[in-house]
Amino acid sequence: MKIKTPIIFALLFLFTTVTSFAQELKVAVAANLQGVIKVLGKDFKQKTGIDIQPIVGSSGNLSTQIKNGAPFDMFLSADMSFPESLAKEGFSTKEPAIYAYGSLIICSAQNIGFENWERLLLSGRIKKIAIANPAIAPYGKAAEESLKLKGVLGDIQSKIVTGESISQVNTYITTGTVDVGFTTRALVKDAEGKTAIYWKEIDPKSYTPIKQGMIILKQSKEIANAQKFYDYMLSPAAKTILKEYGYGV
Amino acid sequence: MDLTPIWLTLKLAAITTVILLIIGLPLAYWLSKGRSIAKIILEAIITMPLVLPPSVLGFYLLMAFSPKHGIGEWLHNAFDIQMVFSFKGLVLASVIYSMPFMIGPIKSALQQLPLSLSQASYTLGKSERETFIKILLPNIRASVLTAAILTFAHTLGEFGVVLMIGGNIPGVTRVASIAVYDSVENMDYTSANAYSLILFCITFIMVISVFVFNKYKAKSPLE
Repeated sequence: MKIKTPIIFALLFLFTTVTSFAQELKVAVAANLQGVIKVLGKDFKQKTGIDIQPIVGSSGNLSTQIKNGAPFDMFLSADMSFPESLAKEGFSTKEPAIYAYGSLIICSAQNIGFENWERLLLSGRIKKIAIANPAIAPYGKAAEESLKLKGVLGDIQSKIVTGESISQVNTYITTGTVDVGFTTRALVKDAEGKTAIYWKEIDPKSYTPIKQGMIILKQSKEIANAQKFYDYMLSPAAKTILKEYGYGV
Repeated sequence: MDLTPIWLTLKLAAITTVILLIIGLPLAYWLSKGRSIAKIILEAIITMPLVLPPSVLGFYLLMAFSPKHGIGEWLHNAFDIQMVFSFKGLVLASVIYSMPFMIGPIKSALQQLPLSLSQASYTLGKSERETFIKILLPNIRASVLTAAILTFAHTLGEFGVVLMIGGNIPGVTRVASIAVYDSVENMDYTSANAYSLILFCITFIMVISVFVFNKYKAKSPLE
């Protein structure tokens, strides 16, 4: 025992030594941006040398984590209501700004034809439909609105599978676990070269526009760098990339 | 592929195991001696993480250590310590979560030792502490090793608690099990497979070694 104790402490010391990183920003990112954020991050790093570390989740979950003290520098939400409520509670340096407008698609791993998707959803061919949890994921809320407006929500309720975030819905769709799902237009670009998907854009008039807002978090120790990324997100360079992924800018 | 999550997981498991060895040995010894209401309640609390959903533990830890209220607020204001979404928080959660795996095997091994072993030592004038360290511990070393390996392995498998209080922060709280989940969510099945395969192999080796160590378990000289 006596000989081993110093070794254990040496090990403990070794393990607890904190590694320091180069300049980087921890950005809480709504799941619909999971693909495009990598491209944006790379471009931003090229321009400024600052690393972007995305933490991906549903806007609602990320917002809860921020309220409970998660050490993020910025938050790119999938809507305006989460960043607005954070701003109201004093978590943000200023009012949220819109960096993109999201669009909703209906999507499947099989070519089932979406010409008349409302009727398709009602038919026996479709057993499971994935949407993101409407309470915490804005794309789920949009999907629910659209289904309600088309008057089919009640009839397909038993077929609906709720994903924790839009990325879980994407997983369900691309693995074929569900027959169809409602997701972000950005999946089309994300899935390119990885897996075949078939999709159709949902009429944007059938749901409240998905205004995606961002804030810099007050507790950040990197506010100056966060401001650079904030400005970058509103710059023409970022807008070109966002447009490629199907976002309105 | 980014190996940080694997490294982070091993670090978490190692620290948890060391901490649990330090507090687990005396605690298991105390629990093994006789019975009392206090002991039964404490043992029940220690054993509960085996059956309690990890989300329950995660939820209470999140509430307790949120910098907005209670202990969390005090820790934050007084010492600038933040438990949630930090590595420290994961260590605390893992210690609670894996405690039954450390205490259980050690306690039952101690109880199975013949009483005459420690009595002989006391008769020969050895103190209780000395008897525990020099007589009892060497006799149950296979069980201690088993307990340590199980604790380590169980910490590798932690997911629900980490998901709730970890926040999936790269290099800080994104352990391997979370990295698997995150890669699947990102449709990055290559990374998911790589992480899973590494975890699969490590766990396999750990479980095999538990079997091996138990086969060569030292028998009490008085049995």
